[in-house]
Amino acid sequence: MTSTARPGTHASADDPRVQLDDQIGVFESVPPYPPRTEREAEFYTLADGEMFLNMGPQHPSTHGVLRVVLKLDGEKVVDLDPVLGYLHRGVEKLCENADYHQVISQVDPLEYISSLFCEWSPVMAFEKLLDVEVPRRAEYIRVLSGELNRVASHALFMGWFALDLGGLTPVLWSFIERDEIVEMLAALTGQRMLFNYFRIGGVNGDLNHDFMSRLGDWMSRATEQIEANLTLLNENEIFVRRVRGLGVVDTETALGMCMTGPNLRATGSPFDVRRAHPYSIYPEIDFDIPTRTEGDSLARYLLRMEEIKQSLRIIDQCLHQMPDGPIMAKLPRLLRPRPGRAYAAIEGPRGQYATYAISDGTDQPFRMRIHDPSFVHLQSVGLLMKNNLIADTMAVMASLDPVMGGVDK
Amino acid sequence: MDRAFKSRLEARFGEVALGPVRQRHDETELRIAPGDVPDVLRALHDEPEFGFLMLSDLAGVDTGDTMQVVYHLWSDSTSDWLRVVADGLPRDDPRTPSVTFLWKGAEWMEREAYDMFGIIFEGNRDLRRIYMPPDYTSFPLRKDFFLPDDAARSPGGGVRHMERSHAPLGAPTGTIRRMKG
Repeated sequence: MTSTARPGTHASADDPRVQLDDQIGVFESVPPYPPRTEREAEFYTLADGEMFLNMGPQHPSTHGVLRVVLKLDGEKVVDLDPVLGYLHRGVEKLCENADYHQVISQVDPLEYISSLFCEWSPVMAFEKLLDVEVPRRAEYIRVLSGELNRVASHALFMGWFALDLGGLTPVLWSFIERDEIVEMLAALTGQRMLFNYFRIGGVNGDLNHDFMSRLGDWMSRATEQIEANLTLLNENEIFVRRVRGLGVVDTETALGMCMTGPNLRATGSPFDVRRAHPYSIYPEIDFDIPTRTEGDSLARYLLRMEEIKQSLRIIDQCLHQMPDGPIMAKLPRLLRPRPGRAYAAIEGPRGQYATYAISDGTDQPFRMRIHDPSFVHLQSVGLLMKNNLIADTMAVMASLDPVMGGVDK
Repeated sequence: MDRAFKSRLEARFGEVALGPVRQRHDETELRIAPGDVPDVLRALHDEPEFGFLMLSDLAGVDTGDTMQVVYHLWSDSTSDWLRVVADGLPRDDPRTPSVTFLWKGAEWMEREAYDMFGIIFEGNRDLRRIYMPPDYTSFPLRKDFFLPDDAARSPGGGVRHMERSHAPLGAPTGTIRRMKG
């Protein structure tokens, strides 16, 4: 690489004065600049017999564009360093330059597997800023569609997890489930993936006949269908022996790593925002919070499958208790909340999604912080991977279920 | 709103608090100086009376005049979210102690706040950029960082009327936005 930069400094590949002789340089596993931190210096120093292996950013099992630098001793992973930012699009900055209604479509593509949850927490935070009471029917519709989205997300998790371990069949089966739910939600919201459905003060449309008939049709056979899907993996000896005892984490470490959601509950802690800090109409609904004590990849998988069943219970109760009434609170088109701060957290399929919103009295949020569980969970991969084999990196990463859209924001 | 929790907080952290403990909806806000963060958070984490074992969120905020680091904590001892605001970091050299000694998982969130605001967390072992490329030099979420189509708020005041319409209503143009309240 020839450049006009001083020797020893790193020149940007975007700099037009720099001519790259060797295009591979961008993805070299060892960074071309001196280490910036203690940890980076430690990581990029090789002991005897160790080597680096670059995985990604275009790797089929990284669930998006994630690059991981693995430090290997033979086939054992000594340490790893995830490199983020390939999907970074500055959603927080965009939200701070959009008005309150536009934010909803900006946050949609964060976790594109479960978009409704990405919309839910900002919308809740804005409602707190505005002191709006959401109509009960809207809350029920939110919970109903949210839980459907959770089932879709967990179903896809099952498929991906098996796919990362080399099994092709479960992903095809799980897409049957996901496709039905996604079509159902498309009938409700108009979109298959990026729903843009929740509104500040309610939801965008009432339940319609197409949605209800699809839902009723699916609910009548969902339990059996999911049970059938589970037999693919739960009784598969290859799968179970591969993931049991892999990537074990205990409750104390998990809390220290700020883990939430199924990954935390698989260690035995019953923390679920729906019960720990109730929101919406969850206090009126009867459901259990499954926990497991093993804290390994198998426990995380089994726990999510257990959650699907609980979600079906919630959907059933929503359908029976759905009240009549309006689906939007009365709000002006132009929202200018009084100056203040609000924090809203919800339980998504991957853990706690949270939004911290600050209003300065204008029609655009002054600051909008989005807390994404995938981001937090991804940093514990290094901890869980210590002294496991390379092939298990994908298994552990898949069991934490990160979505890169949310990690990179 | 948990009134009892407010009095417990005021009794324990009355001396270090900057201003009164504020409550709204299901949130309780404690404002402290950045130097007190390790002691206060350690007390909140360790003392069984509080038991805030969970760091729900860590966010940087640029108020236009100062920088803040905002911690959201959860505990089963109260029904509120606790918001601890480390307030008054100077914008030209924002420095605050890291909380990675309590929650190792805060490491990446602090890296993100460093990347976006330039806040230096002393004691974080891995404080490098996380989203932006390593040779990037500015801090995108600072209020004096304007988006290319956000010229209306820049000192130039905007060129086309479409750009002017991007400015928030009621905000003064030609300056950076400042937090109120």
